[in-house]
Amino acid sequence: MIQMEDRGNVAVVHIQMPSIDAISALQIEEFCGRSRKITVLDFHQVAFINSAGISGLLKFIVAARKRGHRVYATNVSPHHRKIFKMVELSRFMPIVEESEISQIQ
Amino acid sequence: MGPANQVEMSIPSDLVFERVVRAAAEEVGRQMGFSEEKLADLTLAVSEAVANAIEHGNRLQQEVHVGIVFCMERDRLVVRVVDQGEKGEQPAIRCRGITEETIEQGELRGLGLYLIHQLVDHAEFSTSEEGNVFTMWLHINPRDERSRRQER
Repeated sequence: MIQMEDRGNVAVVHIQMPSIDAISALQIEEFCGRSRKITVLDFHQVAFINSAGISGLLKFIVAARKRGHRVYATNVSPHHRKIFKMVELSRFMPIVEESEISQIQ
Repeated sequence: MGPANQVEMSIPSDLVFERVVRAAAEEVGRQMGFSEEKLADLTLAVSEAVANAIEHGNRLQQEVHVGIVFCMERDRLVVRVVDQGEKGEQPAIRCRGITEETIEQGELRGLGLYLIHQLVDHAEFSTSEEGNVFTMWLHINPRDERSRRQER
């Protein structure tokens, strides 16, 4: 399940599923086109992401970029930080601390 | 009867069952005394290998099964994933992560094998009478040994 929260200029998308894989990534893909100027994906409840999940996230990011929007990630576990860096996803979706969200311009 | 250090599974080629193997991999890794970091690496690598076998090997034909064998050796875990795809059809390994160029070209998938090769100590593809076999080796390192001793 995915829930969007408006925080002024920023939309925070809470990904409320434990696993982002080939099956659950479809829900993220369905969210493509619903990004805001600044969108932060919240991974607090996500325990597992595989390459099919990364592909779903990338589709969301590509769709957002086409609309001139920027996508960030927050509450990313140390393991997922490593994986995002490994595949260079963090270049296209920088990781921010939750406390920094209100400062993103 | 099978060897006492071996866990064998067989799943239909449906991506839902990749989750079952993932859960088993985590438990096997715990039994091996892997650190939390290594457990996460193992789980992801197994997930990728099984998803590849389901999608690219058995082409999502549910009646065709993917076989998985976890072999727990003294100083390493060996995982074999077997599919019934076209023999010898070795998948291409992507040699880079996501770049502006790959995005331009619409290459938004295909990171699975790239990740596996980053996460495990060694991986190789072979063919046998069983089918196409993808084998991964994960060695126990000193950090895992510490975690194993603490568990006991």
